[in-house]
Amino acid sequence: MSITRRFLGAAFGATLAATAALPALAQSTAQDVASASVIETIKERGVIKIGLSLFKPWSMRDLNGELIGFELDVGRQLAEDMGVEVEFVPTSWDGIIPALVSGNFDTIISGMTVTPQRNLTVNFTVPYAYSGMTILANTAMTEGFTLEDYNSSDVTFAARRGATPATVIADMFPEAELLLFDEDGAATQEVLNGNAHATMASEPTPSSEARRYPDVLSVPFNQAFQAGGEGFAVRKGDPDALAFFNSWITAKTNTGWLKERHDYWFRGNDWADQVPE
Amino acid sequence: MPPGPALGGTFAKAHDVLNRLKKLHWLDWLVLAVVLAFFGYIWWKIEGTLNYNWRWHLIPNYILRFHTEREEWFANVLLQGLIATIRISIYASILAVILGTILGIARCAKNLTIRMLARTYLEFLRNIPPVVVIFIFFFFLSQQLITALNIESWAREIARSDNRAVWEFFFGDMRRFPSLISGVIVLALFESAFVGEIVRAGIQSIDRGQREAARSIGMSRTQEMRYIVLPQALHKVMPPMANQFITLIKDSAIISLISVQELTFKTVELVASTRLIFEAWITTAAFYFVICFGLSMLFRRLERRKS
Repeated sequence: MSITRRFLGAAFGATLAATAALPALAQSTAQDVASASVIETIKERGVIKIGLSLFKPWSMRDLNGELIGFELDVGRQLAEDMGVEVEFVPTSWDGIIPALVSGNFDTIISGMTVTPQRNLTVNFTVPYAYSGMTILANTAMTEGFTLEDYNSSDVTFAARRGATPATVIADMFPEAELLLFDEDGAATQEVLNGNAHATMASEPTPSSEARRYPDVLSVPFNQAFQAGGEGFAVRKGDPDALAFFNSWITAKTNTGWLKERHDYWFRGNDWADQVPE
Repeated sequence: MPPGPALGGTFAKAHDVLNRLKKLHWLDWLVLAVVLAFFGYIWWKIEGTLNYNWRWHLIPNYILRFHTEREEWFANVLLQGLIATIRISIYASILAVILGTILGIARCAKNLTIRMLARTYLEFLRNIPPVVVIFIFFFFLSQQLITALNIESWAREIARSDNRAVWEFFFGDMRRFPSLISGVIVLALFESAFVGEIVRAGIQSIDRGQREAARSIGMSRTQEMRYIVLPQALHKVMPPMANQFITLIKDSAIISLISVQELTFKTVELVASTRLIFEAWITTAAFYFVICFGLSMLFRRLERRKS
């Protein structure tokens, strides 16, 4: 009996030790990754790896299944200026920050809004875009609503979990109920089905959705609500990467290149024939 | 002109069906009518409340499409995802069977430490939701393994080299190789626990007398396992093992959470890009169904032939 018990203890001890050691191992690798600047790694490798999660019109798949969008233009230009190849790593939104921290890619360029909570885990560059959010509402349900009317406990919003619109909604309409979904389309569908009053998204998506369902959806306010601005996310403890990306963004803002690309994807509809409406 | 043999066959078949229909009792017809009415009612309700423009005509393009610039047919996102799912399922099954067999033998070992370790591993996996297990395995295990073995730069070398065609046939885009491999490892580790249980049941189903007989003619424990127990046990566990393989294909959808580019992940991407929510998901569900149902038919036929 006592031998059995001792073996049992040993087995559990070994398992516990292994379980405890694994996170420590992960931690040390993350630190190793951070100790050398990622800029050096990119140059050595000849490839910059950019993590992104698809989010119309930031990034999406066109009819041929290729990635297109604002982020793709930014990423490709960035790689060209660094003289390296570019590799986009499509990642699910939920795991995108852990994936960056564990070294799956060098930076996140995915329309990620700078928030203090996120900033505790990763570092952000200066904003490379200021996306304006508009409200996309179910016309019948929000008849005669003023902006203040949306901030009521009777009103339900739908949005993608962890994404910028969700942050803006929680900020602007703290009283309203907020339904969170894994994906943008599902949020819009809830508004269409009348289960939510409204959702928010960056133009031109709300306008094109309203055009597709003119009887049900509308964009009630001809006004964009500013989010905090979107930045590249990089791992902590890498001042070189932050400095490089910051100067790149500043330079591209000054030449007007970023604004021109941003307008192409967010104001115009020239790219509409590349994605089915 | 007399009817050809093919046409005659069709007639015979139609006759057969008619005969079968005649055998149906009026109660059968009633049940059938009620079922149909029920689904009709559901459909009618959905049509009434679901505000949705169906755009089925866009789906075929996302399976197979004629590239306008390259002027050739190519597999678009959904088919790419399906192929990746099939690849991952095959590799993960092979690995899961190997690991599971080891685990199953360990569960029947004489040594208590080995038995306890195997048991701990099994209980750990069986009592934690797969999503959590997959995140833990991914970040703490397969990720470390890939970094340690430097698989990533090795795969990139191949992606750039000229003889990448063979590699791409087996593993798809070599740039995504690390993610594919970690998906396979994670899935195999997860499924190995269940395969292990099946193998253990198989080993224990072998009559004690046979094992004792093996020992008495001077076989070592390894020989006993190798020549007496395992061949019979693995033969016996074929049906549940086939079932587990089908489960694995369905479970492979979970690894979309760690961004492995398989069918479910590709569908999420497609929905995010096109808003074809229902069409894309229904198509994906049909893909999974066809594979799993086809396999279960195949296994059933193989089993019947064996017996």
